[in-house]
Amino acid sequence: MTGAAGIEAAVRRLLHEAIDRCQNDPGVAGPLRHQLARLDRPVRVAVVGPWRCGKSTLLNALMGEVVAPVGEVAGGDAFVWYEDGPTPRATAWSADRPPQELAVARSASGMRVGLGGPAANGLTDVVVRWPTRSLRHLTLLDTPAFGADEPGPVVERVLTEADAVLHLTRDGRDGDLRLLEAGRESLVGQAAPVPVVLVRSRADETGGGQIDALLTARQLARRQQRDPRVAARCWHVVACSGAVGLAGRTLAEPEFAALAELARVPRPELAGHLLSADRFLRGELPVYLDTADRAALVDRLGLFGVRLATTLVRTGCDTRAKLAAELVRRSGLAELRESVHRLFVDRQGVLKARSALATVEAVARTRPAADGRALLGAVERVLAGAHEFAELRLFAALHGDRSGFDAETVEEARRLLGGEGSSLPARLGVEFDAPVRRLWEAATEAQRRWRERAEDPRLRLGQRRGAQVVARSCEGMLAELVDRSRRPAPA
Amino acid sequence: MAGIWLDVLDELAGTCTAHGRADLLRTVRQKRAQLLDPALRVLVVGEPDQGKSQLVNAIVTAQVCPVGDGRTTVLPTVVRHAETASAALVRTPPEPQATTAGSPATVERTQLPLDRIAAGVSGTLVPRSGSGPAHVEIGVPRALLGAGLVLVDTPGADGVAGSGGAAPVAALHRADTVLLVSDSTRELSVAELNMLLHLTRSHPNVVVVQTKTDLVPDWRAVADRNRRHLQEAGVPAPLIPVSAALRMRAAAGDDHQLNTESGFPLLIARLRRDLAGKSDTLARVSVTALARAVVEQLAAPLRAELDNQQATEREGPIARLHAAQREVDELRRCSTRWQNTLVDELGDLLSDVEYDMRERTRQILRAVDEAFDTADPLTGWDVFQDWLERSLTEAARENHEWLVQRCDWVARRVASNFARYGHHVLPPWSMAVPDDLADRLPQLECPPVDRFTLSQKLLTGMKGSYGGMLMFGLALTLAGMPMINPVSVGFGALLGGKSIRDEGKQMLRRRQSTVKAAVQRHVDDFFVAMTKDCRDTVRQVQRLLRDHFTALTEELQESIVESLRTAKQAAETDAAVRDRRQREIRAKMTGLARLYEQAQALTAARPGPVLLEQPA
Repeated sequence: MTGAAGIEAAVRRLLHEAIDRCQNDPGVAGPLRHQLARLDRPVRVAVVGPWRCGKSTLLNALMGEVVAPVGEVAGGDAFVWYEDGPTPRATAWSADRPPQELAVARSASGMRVGLGGPAANGLTDVVVRWPTRSLRHLTLLDTPAFGADEPGPVVERVLTEADAVLHLTRDGRDGDLRLLEAGRESLVGQAAPVPVVLVRSRADETGGGQIDALLTARQLARRQQRDPRVAARCWHVVACSGAVGLAGRTLAEPEFAALAELARVPRPELAGHLLSADRFLRGELPVYLDTADRAALVDRLGLFGVRLATTLVRTGCDTRAKLAAELVRRSGLAELRESVHRLFVDRQGVLKARSALATVEAVARTRPAADGRALLGAVERVLAGAHEFAELRLFAALHGDRSGFDAETVEEARRLLGGEGSSLPARLGVEFDAPVRRLWEAATEAQRRWRERAEDPRLRLGQRRGAQVVARSCEGMLAELVDRSRRPAPA
Repeated sequence: MAGIWLDVLDELAGTCTAHGRADLLRTVRQKRAQLLDPALRVLVVGEPDQGKSQLVNAIVTAQVCPVGDGRTTVLPTVVRHAETASAALVRTPPEPQATTAGSPATVERTQLPLDRIAAGVSGTLVPRSGSGPAHVEIGVPRALLGAGLVLVDTPGADGVAGSGGAAPVAALHRADTVLLVSDSTRELSVAELNMLLHLTRSHPNVVVVQTKTDLVPDWRAVADRNRRHLQEAGVPAPLIPVSAALRMRAAAGDDHQLNTESGFPLLIARLRRDLAGKSDTLARVSVTALARAVVEQLAAPLRAELDNQQATEREGPIARLHAAQREVDELRRCSTRWQNTLVDELGDLLSDVEYDMRERTRQILRAVDEAFDTADPLTGWDVFQDWLERSLTEAARENHEWLVQRCDWVARRVASNFARYGHHVLPPWSMAVPDDLADRLPQLECPPVDRFTLSQKLLTGMKGSYGGMLMFGLALTLAGMPMINPVSVGFGALLGGKSIRDEGKQMLRRRQSTVKAAVQRHVDDFFVAMTKDCRDTVRQVQRLLRDHFTALTEELQESIVESLRTAKQAAETDAAVRDRRQREIRAKMTGLARLYEQAQALTAARPGPVLLEQPA
């Protein structure tokens, strides 16, 4: 978050100014204060997607525990927030009633929230606090499913509440992608749209759930990433099977035992039994496995998961830990978590600043003329002066492979822009404990190279502009190094 | 058997020609050709990635359509029977629809090697722009296909708009049976239900196929819920759950039990039944549906025209006629109104002006009376005469001015009745206060008043003094004094003086009353003259106004009656035309209704629909 300090300070100042101006209007000052508070909280990532695309499953997989209710309507039209907290708690907020605590019951692999009943009507927010490491730097937001055609209020709210979006889709159709177009008309929306990672969820069902389904899904995701229509809207495309990933992260010993037992059955015979879920549940297996256990296995892993797990056990994953790790890796969950960390958590300063700017702009547009103009002007000043947004824009372009540079150059540019972590060594591509001198050399070298590119007449205009941004980033790093050498080294 | 529906179809075609609807005629002709074709064309539609191609493969138990690895069907694929496996890319060059669709001369066939089918289907062999609709035709030797089954696999459609596909080969109306594919991992979505509603509205034979039952354990629950969704949405389509994977496996291992488990026997039986019943049951249903669609399309413009006519009736010539009649009535009312106004107002005016005049003269008289109670007409007559003349002239002028104002007001008042005609014009108005009012006054002559002349005074004095002197002289003679002595002469003189004074006073009073009477008479004369003048004026005004407004009314009436006449004429001719057109439309509608009933009778005669709606 080294690069974000400047913009964060600017946005903080802007927020204070906006609050000063709107002091006597609590309806406006409230959201602004909320934004200010958010700057110190973890980045908020919303999980959105159409109906039954596996949102809750993926959330659970990201958290590593079964917290979100799966397969039922979570909270009607309520947004469910998952935050880190010392003890499990769930609080329900509604528009017309005071917040109420919900009953929380611990279950074997997570917890169960006592939603439902008449209390569930009219809820706007449910905040679930759950002590888990996964949520320390990340607040997850489960959203109601949105309809196929119209963006509607859900998407609008997501765009104002979340700093980043995981967009789930079963097959990445145009109809799903169009929804992301909303909210791009504003100043902030044009300068820096809400970052989106497209997740091809339920990847295990690709191609009818054959054993290579996840590989196919990954290939499809790569291909989709090259599609300019997708690349223009999303930073990244990841294929991920939430069910398999979740099973991997919460695999229990009895489950592993059952899978190991299954794997003992000779492969051709087992394949026959795993032809369909019906056959697996009702057929006569040569090993003893209770029907309830089989049902539980299929429920947790899916038929594909059972096929994959038995194959994995047979090919060497002979302990619970090994199998669990392999399941997580294969499911694409590891890649998704990596992406979330690299793209969202590592850049959370800029992302939160972006959200705050968007809020100020929205407020400014509702204010009377003089106030509104002054605030809009301030927003524009911040946007114009913030190199971080230029970096974000270029980063998105590099991800979409729209730059026209060759792969190696793209790789370098991405790294310099913080694509592999925003600490200085990560950006400069040197070992993490390199001395300042080494960093300085690397940065000077990079700056020279990119400055040259920026002035190279053989390159296209877009490329030269991109190179300018990278060179400017390098200069920023140099400036930071100068700062650091002047300040006494932190203890 | 085939004859009846063919007759209905031919009649439909005839009706289309009669109505001049070449587009519908083309549809009917296509349907005719399609129904006479013994093959059963099965269109497979649905959202992307639901397993459409896999379903086609499983029906023919051969890997004809490429599946898996995210390969998306881009071109519609037609799978039909052939002695040896073959494939061809069929391209229809882009051409305006001058010739009827699918004329064989324009179609361009390219034979495809079997290993390039996948490339063909995913559309990579066809340049995307500039070429017309293309499709891939695949022939495989299969008994089921040999019986006349043709399967059409379509690109996945995202919504209602895309259903049916762009290429004519995948057009909805050319299909005999439509299979909507939805997989078991979730229930039917809203978009799919909308698509189903759209399909069932325009196609009589739609089946929902729920694929991938092997993948989820609770597919039965999903199927139940789907059936309930269908029922709630009012979609009359049966639902058949199948598993293509199981079917392929069963075919590979020749496993009958697995085949039964896959659910395909039900679907195939259904297709076979459709195939067998095509020339009869299916054709009847199709013809009924087509007839309904065609009749609705034909009737729609007619109905619209009828409605339109009813609408124009309200604003057409009849309406204008009514308006003209109302106008005539209104004018009649208006003319009574203005006449009444004129008479009433002028009557009021007259009495008001007369009263005013009387009031003014009265005041003058009162002033005269007061003046002559003390003054002597002899001394101040000239002054008085001047004053009187001036005040009378003044009164006459003021009165006349008021009269003019009132007349003007009355004229405006009457004219306001004509405001709605835009004719509130005043008559050429030339009333003013005449300048010669003073000259018109009757001359006031000085009344003959008795002057107290010197001789009269002497006489009266003599008379008075004589009596006095005599009275006192006689009394004094008794006292021995002569008759004429200074005392008696003194008394005589005293009494003489007194009688002269008395006589003078009397004379003055007489003069005063004479003058008062004379002035009274004079003012009365003046009043009468003025009143006469005033009445004349008013009568003149009345005549003027009456003439003016009568002429105006007549003018208006003439124009209104003229418009009434033309409106009447127009309404009569228009009504005749409309009546004729309405009769025509009614006749056409009756014809359509008869045709529709005939088509309905096709399915009503035999329990056709029962077969179609039987749950699988």
